[in-house]
Amino acid sequence: MSEVALDFGLPVEIGRIDKELGRLWEDSGDTKTRASLINLAIYTESPDSMTENTEIIAAIAGEHACRALLILANPDASTDEAKAWINAHCFPAGKGDRQICSEQITFQLNGEAATALPNMVFSHLDSDLPLCVWWQSEFRDITDERLWQWVDRLIYDSQTWSNPAAQFERVLAISSSSDSGTRTTLCDLNWARLLSTRFALAQFFDNSVAIGLLEKIVRVRLEHAPGSRTTALLLLGWLASRLGWKFQPILGNAYFVSPTGTQIEVKLTEGEGACVGLCRLESNGAQIEFRREKNSEFFHATLRGENLPEISQVLSAGREKIVDILLTELSRGGRHPQYLEAYSAVSAWVHSPDEAK
Amino acid sequence: MSATQVTQPVNPLREGLSTRAIPEPCTIVIFGATGDLTHRKLVPALYNLAANGSLPPSVNVVGFARRDKTDEIFRQELEEAAQKYSRQKLKPELWESFASSIFYHRSEFDKPEGYEALAKRLDELDAQRGTRGNRLFYLSVAPDQFSVILEQLAQSGLNKAREGSWARVIVEKPFGVDLPTAVALNSMVEGAFSESDTYRIDHYLGKETAQNIMVLRFANSLFETMWNARHIDHVQITASEPLGVEGRAGYYDKSGAIRDMVQNHLLQLLCLTAMEPPMDLSADAIRDEKVKVLKSIRPIEGADVAKCVVRAQYSAGAVNGKRVPAYRDELNVPPESPTETYVALQVNIDNWRWAGVPFFVRVGKRLPKAATEIAIHFKSVPPVLFRNSADVLDDNVLVIRIQPDEGISLRMCAKKPGSSLRIEPVKMDFHYGTSFGKATPEAYERLLLDAMSGDATLFARRDEVEEAWKFIDAIRANWDGTDTDLAFYSAGSWGPTEADELIGRHGASWRRL
Repeated sequence: MSEVALDFGLPVEIGRIDKELGRLWEDSGDTKTRASLINLAIYTESPDSMTENTEIIAAIAGEHACRALLILANPDASTDEAKAWINAHCFPAGKGDRQICSEQITFQLNGEAATALPNMVFSHLDSDLPLCVWWQSEFRDITDERLWQWVDRLIYDSQTWSNPAAQFERVLAISSSSDSGTRTTLCDLNWARLLSTRFALAQFFDNSVAIGLLEKIVRVRLEHAPGSRTTALLLLGWLASRLGWKFQPILGNAYFVSPTGTQIEVKLTEGEGACVGLCRLESNGAQIEFRREKNSEFFHATLRGENLPEISQVLSAGREKIVDILLTELSRGGRHPQYLEAYSAVSAWVHSPDEAK
Repeated sequence: MSATQVTQPVNPLREGLSTRAIPEPCTIVIFGATGDLTHRKLVPALYNLAANGSLPPSVNVVGFARRDKTDEIFRQELEEAAQKYSRQKLKPELWESFASSIFYHRSEFDKPEGYEALAKRLDELDAQRGTRGNRLFYLSVAPDQFSVILEQLAQSGLNKAREGSWARVIVEKPFGVDLPTAVALNSMVEGAFSESDTYRIDHYLGKETAQNIMVLRFANSLFETMWNARHIDHVQITASEPLGVEGRAGYYDKSGAIRDMVQNHLLQLLCLTAMEPPMDLSADAIRDEKVKVLKSIRPIEGADVAKCVVRAQYSAGAVNGKRVPAYRDELNVPPESPTETYVALQVNIDNWRWAGVPFFVRVGKRLPKAATEIAIHFKSVPPVLFRNSADVLDDNVLVIRIQPDEGISLRMCAKKPGSSLRIEPVKMDFHYGTSFGKATPEAYERLLLDAMSGDATLFARRDEVEEAWKFIDAIRANWDGTDTDLAFYSAGSWGPTEADELIGRHGASWRRL
C-alpha cells in the first residue's frame, strides 16, 4: 500500500484521544451536544476508501448518532506506525442554533501496529453501547477471536468478496465460535440490499390471484448487474428456503426441486439494470415479473397469465447506495435468522466448481 | 356479523420478514371521503406507507361521499392534498401507481341503492385487484351520520365478511358526548360489527412516545421497581396548547376541554402510566389492564367536584406577543358560554399500587406553549444527610414528553463543583430526534397499518370508552350548565390560580414547562 496523506480532522496522540475529544466539546460552546447510540467501527485496508467512509459516517451520524472509529490498516507495511485524528459531524437539531454531534476517531495502523486492532477498538469505545464492526476487507484465515467476542453486529458486504465460497465459510466460522456465536449478529449488507426486494415480492404474493401461483413455479430467471451475482444468489436462496426448494444440479444445469417434486429451472444472467434488475417467476400459463432499472427507486411488477386479470404496479424499492443500505441495516436491527437459511439453500451452488472460477 | 379470526391463505414469503403483524390486502372504504381528514391525514398516511414499502400493493381506497365527481377528479384532489400534507415528497411514478388504486363512489349515505352499487364495485375490485374480499370501512363523518351508514352497511350485507375474509370498521372520535350516547353509539356499531372488528381511533395512542411508555416501564428494571406508591409522590399529566378554538367553536363550545381531551387522550395516557404489566402484548391483554385502571379511579361526585376539579375559561390576553380575544369573544361562541377551555383535576386511583398517589391532570387552550407530557414526581429523600445544606433538594422527576420534542428526561441532584457542599438539580435528557434522527411516522400511518393487520392494541375498546365516560359524566353532572364555578385565566398564562391551589393542597406545584 502506498503512503497516503490523510486529513481527517485534528491529528492527536493516540494516548490523548479522550482528552482531546473532551477539549473539542469544551471549545464548542453550549450549542453543540454530543450524542451516541452505537459504536461503529469501520475496518478497511484500502486508503482510497477513506474519504468515502468519512462521508458515510457523516451521513449515518445524521440518523444514528454514534462514536465512529475509522481504521485504515496495512499489516504488510514495512514500517510500524500508528496515527490518529479526531473530528465531529454535527447536524442542526430542530430550530435554532442547537446541533447534535457524533465523534469520529480515525486510525492509520501500519505494520505491527495493525495487530493492535482489538486494543485500538476496545480502548476507544463509548461504554455500554453496542459495538457494530463493518469489516470492509476480506476475512483472513486467522482472525482475532478477542475482537469478535465483543462485537454485537458484524457488518460486511458479500457482494464485494472475490471468493464468496471461502469468505462465507470464514464468516460462518466466526458466527459458530462458542464465544462470539451467541452475541454476534451477522449483518451482510448484501442481504440488507435485498430487503425491499424481498418485501415487495412477498407483498405482491398477498394478492389472491398471485398466491396460488407460488406452488406452481417451474422457472426462475434472475438478471443481475455485473458484480452482483452473490446478491442474485442470496435472493434465490431466500425464495428456495421459503418455498422448500432443494438444489439439485442436473446435467450441468441449475435446478431446484419443490416439496411436491416439481423441477424448477433457474437461470442467472448478467444485465445492465439494477443490482437485481429482473426477477421473473413462471408457472405453466402465468408469469410474475419484477423489473428495476439502474438507479431507479421502484420496481415495476406485473402479473400476466391465461384467464387471469393483468396486474401492473409500481412498488417502492429503496435506494442502492451503500450508505442507504447501511442505514437500512442499522435501522432494522434484530437478528437475521433467514439469512443463514437462504445461504444454506444455495451454498452447494456457491461452492460448485463453476461458481468458484 | 363478521369474525375476526379468519383463515387466509398463508404466504410463505411473508414469514420472518417483519416483527409486526402483517397488513393484509383489502379495500378501504372511506365514508366522508371529501372531508378534511381524508385529504390531510388518511390519504397522505397511505401514500407514505406505500413510499416506505409497508402498504400491501393489493390495497384499494374507495371514497364514498355525496358530491358528484369522477375517479379522476377525486384522484387529482387527493394528489394536491398529498403534495401539501404528505411528510414525504410525492414521487410522480409512485403516486401514479398508488392513485390507480383510488376510486370514488358517489352516493347519499341513506340510499340503499348506493350500498348495493358499492357492494358490486367492491366485488369487481376484488376480482380485478386480488383484494381477497377484505373490507375496512372508515367512518370519517360526523357522529350523527354513523347510524344511517351502519344501518345501510348491515342491510346491504357489507358488514358481513365472506368465508376467509374480514370486514372491519374504524370509528373516529368523539365516541359519544356522554355515557348514554356512547352506549347508544357502541350498541349501534355492535349491531353491524362485532367488537373485535371495531377499531376506535385515538390518534394519541399512535404516537411513538405513547407507545414508548410501556417499553420504558416494562423493559427497564430501573423504573418498574419504583413505579408505585412507596416511591412516587404524585404524577402530573399536562396537555397545553397556545391555540384557541380556531374555527371549531361550533364543536368545541358543546364539548369543552374535559370531553374534548380528558375523556379520551389524557385518560388513555393515565391508563398507560398506571396500569399493571399485561399478561402479554396482545390487544386484549393490554386493554384489560387499562380498563382495570379506569375501574379503580375514585369517582369524583357531589361536593368532591369542587375540591378535585377546576374548570376555567380564558379571558383576553396575549399569546406569542399577540393580543388575543377572550373565549366568549371568539367567532361563533355564545357571549355567556359556560364552556371550559381549561380543566385541572386530581385523580385518585384506589388500588394497591397507587393508593395515596394523586394524578394531577391539566389541559387547556391559550396556554403559553404547546406541550403534552407525563411527569412522575418521586418522593423526597429522608431529610437527614443534607439538612444543613443551603440548598433545597429538588425531588427526582421523570418526564415523558409526548409532543413536541418527544423524549424522556430525569431530574436528579448533583454536587456543584467546589469546596463547599452545594447541591443543584441536573437533568439527563433523551430526545427522540437527537438519538433517532429519522422522522417518526405519523400516528395515522401506524394506526391504519394496524387496522389492516387486525391489531387492535392501539385502539380503544368499548368498555374503556364507557368507563371513561362514567368518570367524566359524574363530574359534569355537577357543573349543571352554569358558570357559577367557572374560573377565568388570562390567555397566555398557565391557567387559573384555583388550579395552583388544587395541586398546592398536596404540597406540590405545577411543573414549569
